[in-house]
Amino acid sequence: MFKIFSKSILLIVFSVVICCILYPIALWAVGQVLFPSQSNGSMLMGPDGKPVGSRLIAQPFTKDEYFQPRPSAASYDASASASSSLAGSNYALRDRVARTLGPIVAYRSGPKAGQPVAPDIEQWFQKDKFQGAPHIVAQWADMHNSLAQAWVTSDATHTAYVSAWAKTHPKDVAQFMKDNPAVSQPKEADLAVTFFKSFSAENAGKFPSVVTRKGKDGKPQTTIEPVTAGSDIQSIFFDMWRQDHADADIQDIPGDLVTTSASGLDPHISLQNAEFQLDRVAPKWAADLKRDQAEVRKEIEQILQKNASAAWNGLIGEKFVNVLEINLKLRNKYGEPR
Amino acid sequence: MFMQTWLLPFALLATATIVAFPLSRYMAWIMDGKYRPLPVMGWFEKRLDSGPQNWKQYIGSLLLFNTVLFVFGYLVLMLQPFMPLNPDGKTMLAPSTIFNSVISFMTNTNLQHYSGDQHLSNFSQIFFCISNMYISAAIGLCALVAIIRALRSDSSLGNFFVDMWRVLIYMFVPVAFLFAFIFITQGSPMTFKSFHQVSTLEPAAMGTTDKGEAKQQTIVVGPVAALESIKMLGTNGGGFYGMNSAHPFENPTALSNFFNTLAMMIFPFALVIMYGRMLGRMRHSYVIFIVMLALMAGTVVWSVHYDTLKPNPGLTAHAARTLEIPGAKASDVKKSVTFAAVAGLPVDQHLGNLEGKEMRFGTSAGATFDALTTDVTCGAVNAEEDSLNPIAALAPMVGMWINSIYGGKGVGMINMLLYIIIGIFIAGMMVGRTPEYLGKKIEAREVKLAAIAVLVHPFMILAPTALFAVMHWGVDAVSNPGAHGFSQILYQFSSASANNGSAFDGLGVTYGFYNATSPAPSAVAFDIAAGLVMLFSRFLPIIAPIAMAAYLGAKKTSPVGLGTLRDDDATFGLFLLATILIIGALLFLPAAALGPIAEHLGPFPVGG
Repeated sequence: MFKIFSKSILLIVFSVVICCILYPIALWAVGQVLFPSQSNGSMLMGPDGKPVGSRLIAQPFTKDEYFQPRPSAASYDASASASSSLAGSNYALRDRVARTLGPIVAYRSGPKAGQPVAPDIEQWFQKDKFQGAPHIVAQWADMHNSLAQAWVTSDATHTAYVSAWAKTHPKDVAQFMKDNPAVSQPKEADLAVTFFKSFSAENAGKFPSVVTRKGKDGKPQTTIEPVTAGSDIQSIFFDMWRQDHADADIQDIPGDLVTTSASGLDPHISLQNAEFQLDRVAPKWAADLKRDQAEVRKEIEQILQKNASAAWNGLIGEKFVNVLEINLKLRNKYGEPR
Repeated sequence: MFMQTWLLPFALLATATIVAFPLSRYMAWIMDGKYRPLPVMGWFEKRLDSGPQNWKQYIGSLLLFNTVLFVFGYLVLMLQPFMPLNPDGKTMLAPSTIFNSVISFMTNTNLQHYSGDQHLSNFSQIFFCISNMYISAAIGLCALVAIIRALRSDSSLGNFFVDMWRVLIYMFVPVAFLFAFIFITQGSPMTFKSFHQVSTLEPAAMGTTDKGEAKQQTIVVGPVAALESIKMLGTNGGGFYGMNSAHPFENPTALSNFFNTLAMMIFPFALVIMYGRMLGRMRHSYVIFIVMLALMAGTVVWSVHYDTLKPNPGLTAHAARTLEIPGAKASDVKKSVTFAAVAGLPVDQHLGNLEGKEMRFGTSAGATFDALTTDVTCGAVNAEEDSLNPIAALAPMVGMWINSIYGGKGVGMINMLLYIIIGIFIAGMMVGRTPEYLGKKIEAREVKLAAIAVLVHPFMILAPTALFAVMHWGVDAVSNPGAHGFSQILYQFSSASANNGSAFDGLGVTYGFYNATSPAPSAVAFDIAAGLVMLFSRFLPIIAPIAMAAYLGAKKTSPVGLGTLRDDDATFGLFLLATILIIGALLFLPAAALGPIAEHLGPFPVGG
């Protein structure tokens, strides 16, 4: 027994020395000498010579001059990789995709071919009828309780807006408490559905959104107000609009543009996705640089083509581009975007 | 498109098969002790050798060594805050998570209820993860070798400690070094630094801090390549980062993905041939190999067909449906349920379901990897399993349920041996002859031991799944509504019991550091339950077969006659295949019907 025990200790000691000390140190030495860049994380240098990120790690871009990476369930936090973990059957996945689609999709055929769908979503929204019944917002909150609640809790200003509403609508709150005796002190999120129903009845064809106005002191101030148009309506209600317009022929958006990657840090987008974004990127740079659109588009197109690669040279996959590398090239060529 | 889809899985299966032959020859040569060690190595080997062991001594050494390993792992994780290579001051994990993780790594499962990039320092990654990855993989392999020696009636089963040393030094370390080198060339970091802080190209795109400064991106690095290679080769599967082989640092290119996937296949493939070589029954092992290969090809084709070649059903159009409710007779009960038509979203899905997939690996890489990773009990993932198309997710589940489609280091072949014994027993009963394996009579005691070992697995999956599905533990933890929520719990315990380690990641099982402010509500329950499942499902199916093999080996070998059931022809192969499929279907079809199959049949989408 003691013999077995001492041999066990000896085996642990031997294997720890070899596998946890000698093995990693030998690899470290080989890596640092032969492949120093890769071994240290494939960092890329920015225009000022300082590292701006890793070639292998996606980072966010918001400006229209830049290509955008795939949406990230990790918010591009390279210290906490994460996937969405949304099942195909989960409405949350469909909702997230539909919200990305609404503001960017365009008609494929018909009299409006090539034109964006967004204005039609707003018009439809203002008429306030979904599948023949009135009050789109009320129906939306009723069908998707958790989305309505998520709206209330996603932003402090939203919560405050509902809180203010609750004070001016004691009857609705009282009715809620009567219907839900289990909830003794309803929080704003609990009231979400009641709030949207009452809001929808009072503001037909409107949705509470952020509005920026000049305050008394001249500085811009943001408030929540009922609006009839804007990105909130285009994104949140695209899926419902689509159900009312199942026959509308709309251009397909590249799949990787609306899906999150497994790591949340996928540094690549498909070439197809990049070409789609080129319609936004090229005119924006042209406007910034006051140059001819077609010319700038051709230049960027060349950069894309030159930097596109594919798994095993296309044997097992389609072409993709590295977003940070492309954007770095654009930044170096054209300077800082406005 | 055809080639883009099918070339990768074909290349992987073909390469692993080709590599298996020379590798198995080398492994048999090492394990039979025919090599002559260098003097230095010989010195170590002599220190470890405690002399020839019988099967009870071998099991005793194996269990005692695992106990020591458990204590070692527990200490390393507990002392994380006091250890070096921890510049951002990561503190201790929750005790229940440490309990779970130590068992998980010791049993070659690597189910991770923590996230490597968030919760472990580089010291823990090296001294906890890497050490366990090497050692736990070697333990399974040694168990198989002991069984082989018992079956061929060797005078002793060899020495556990010498076997471990041989596996580690002559097999794992050199091959792991080679693969780690390949991963470095592709871009896996190999440094002892912990992270880089960078200002992104577009300042403030990450948002701003409270002080109004642009947020920086923190890029976690470390000895990734060193961990990655043994993680795959040892079919461990516990990632350096939370998202495992999907993370661009663990798996930077399509080429690294090929080697990543290949790495988890070569040892399980070679072990089957090694089994035949060491027994002197090559044809027998070829038959087993082909049965396993057929099953593996089946799971891969299933997964690729339903995930890469089909769109994500959550985004596509669905026609209106009315379903009759069978048995609803009373007049006050609704007799049918109607689902409204759903319009499709304008998304180009010609590359299949891209939710939870990376772009760089190639078209079918995610679906291929997901099926292979459970077949060989690795448990690494390069795509999000939760987001697989519902019916495609059946492929990884079947891999875990059968648990011997090559299976993990050694234990996969051991499980297959159990199916062989039971299969031969059934065949013998059918023709009315005493069943024999390798010329040894299979009698009540051997069949009892085999049946116990086979039944531990389904019991350890179905019982806790049922328990958690009815208790608030499961309900609080699931992140997807409907049948998929059940699948998440089912997958968790399948993965634990198969010592696999992959997961439907949405399941809330993470407690985090011991002082976490908002841990997942059911984290402790899952930590403990999954920990116990892993423990029992690891050691019972190792101990019982060693005992069984020892009893078999002690019997007289009867000569091959006309009435002997041959174990090296197509009849045997088909019989074995049927045994596996029928037993598997009897055990798991009801659970599958409640999970992935129910989800696949719709409606889409649900919840929200």
